[in-house]
Amino acid sequence: MNWTRRHPVWVMTAAMLGLLLFLWGMALPLSLAPAPIGPAATQFAEGTRVTVALTVVAGVIGTVLGFLAGVGRLSKVRAVRWLSSFYVWLIRGTPLLLQILFVWLVVPTLLPGGIVLSDFACAVTALALNAGAYNAECVRAGILAVPPGQVEAARALGLSPLQIFQDIVFPQSLRVALPGLANNLASLVKDSSLAYAISVVELTMVGYRVQAESYQPVPVFLTSAVVYLILTTAFTTLTGALEQQMDRGTRRSEATA
Amino acid sequence: MSAIEPVAKPTQTGTTDAGLADGSSTDGGPDKRGRMIIQAAQVHKHYGAFHALRGVSAQFHAGEVTAIIGPSGSGKSTFLRTLNGLESHDGGEIRIDGVKLGTDTRALDVVRREVGMVFQNFNLFSHLSILRNITLAPMRVRGLTREAAETRALSLLERVGLRAQAAKYPVQLSGGQQQRVAIARALAMEPKVLLFDEPTSALDPEMVNEVLGVMRELADTGITMLVVTHEMGFAREVADRLVFFDQGQILEDTSPHAFFTSPAHERSRAFLSQVR
Repeated sequence: MNWTRRHPVWVMTAAMLGLLLFLWGMALPLSLAPAPIGPAATQFAEGTRVTVALTVVAGVIGTVLGFLAGVGRLSKVRAVRWLSSFYVWLIRGTPLLLQILFVWLVVPTLLPGGIVLSDFACAVTALALNAGAYNAECVRAGILAVPPGQVEAARALGLSPLQIFQDIVFPQSLRVALPGLANNLASLVKDSSLAYAISVVELTMVGYRVQAESYQPVPVFLTSAVVYLILTTAFTTLTGALEQQMDRGTRRSEATA
Repeated sequence: MSAIEPVAKPTQTGTTDAGLADGSSTDGGPDKRGRMIIQAAQVHKHYGAFHALRGVSAQFHAGEVTAIIGPSGSGKSTFLRTLNGLESHDGGEIRIDGVKLGTDTRALDVVRREVGMVFQNFNLFSHLSILRNITLAPMRVRGLTREAAETRALSLLERVGLRAQAAKYPVQLSGGQQQRVAIARALAMEPKVLLFDEPTSALDPEMVNEVLGVMRELADTGITMLVVTHEMGFAREVADRLVFFDQGQILEDTSPHAFFTSPAHERSRAFLSQVR
């Protein structure tokens, strides 16, 4: 086993930090580009940071929501099952843009006075709720894919239900759930562009503004597209490494007995 | 007829790590009946309209090796699975070492620690290494330190001839090897009773003997074993006692010799004529 496979968490952390450093430093090479990109380099960099922030924060919350709802849909308690199913049904059955506008325009009127949600917070809330519903389906499929014999063996060994979930069901469900979760995260990078509708200054909004000033949509949107591609590629590479790690025990590969 | 892989012969006395059974006699003599450890009285089980167990009563004693045979669907596996609560029974009473099995989950926890189980399909945890498969329950349930659990696991792997495979994953092992690991995993909890649910039925023929070899050695160490099996050779040669199930009831409860030479019931004779 090489170092990468033995310390995948460290490798992935390092890769994530590398990605962030790259994002923070991207204004420098961009500023060397000809107009209209060069002069707007810091705006692009700022917009990219907002896009990544939206993705990461909504992705983390959405993953937690996805696990709660996914486990909830398989709960023994009927009310929990019903609530989880309702959430998934509601979110998956309505457009994301509508959800973003709803959180931005309607939720503030429901909140007690004094609590003000920033545009960014509204976008994160809507994106997280959306990602959570789609993640819930992946998590549910993952849990259902764990063979019953695995749980029986754990029960026969005297493990408690909580231990069975944490040691057996949860790790094994990840193998099936992870590709879907990774897919949803990559989608989230792109879906975050809808936050531009509620005036969050992310990458798409920056591109829109710069082309409006320069009347040169082609180089501007090409730049935006390349940045999105770099981001989605980075996220899929990271989650791909994670999948590799989770894949242990499914291949006979290295030196079969 | 012997184990294919050399199995480290456990020393009969003074082993601390092997952790088999309790103080019952380990000389494997003809009379090794100890105290009563499993007591089933009028156990019933329904699956919807199907009456799977119809008043099964039996007692099993420490050190006894019992083979449970019978046609498929006769309730023998169901009965075995009620003994550690994997299936609930809906009538009658089961006591394991005096603890009554019922709806009380705490009693179930106690029982599951005392009763190990080996499954037809091995059911090794596919995402964990062989070593981790064996150390998980002793660490989680018995509270052993990782070092202590690993020491115990390695000595058990040694015993089933698989110490070299400790770092591998279940999928990398053959069926026979996986089943031997499953036996080691069950033994690591130092159970008083070991239940085998058709342990060789999912194996290729050439792997059956290596698993039976391990079970044979185990039988000699004095652990209480209940073995649901289709291996008539094993039942005849290794078991102290033979229980024949038919249509949810125990039809015969006798010695293997008596069963195979002079079965008392028409149903047993019909069964024997089919498996022979």
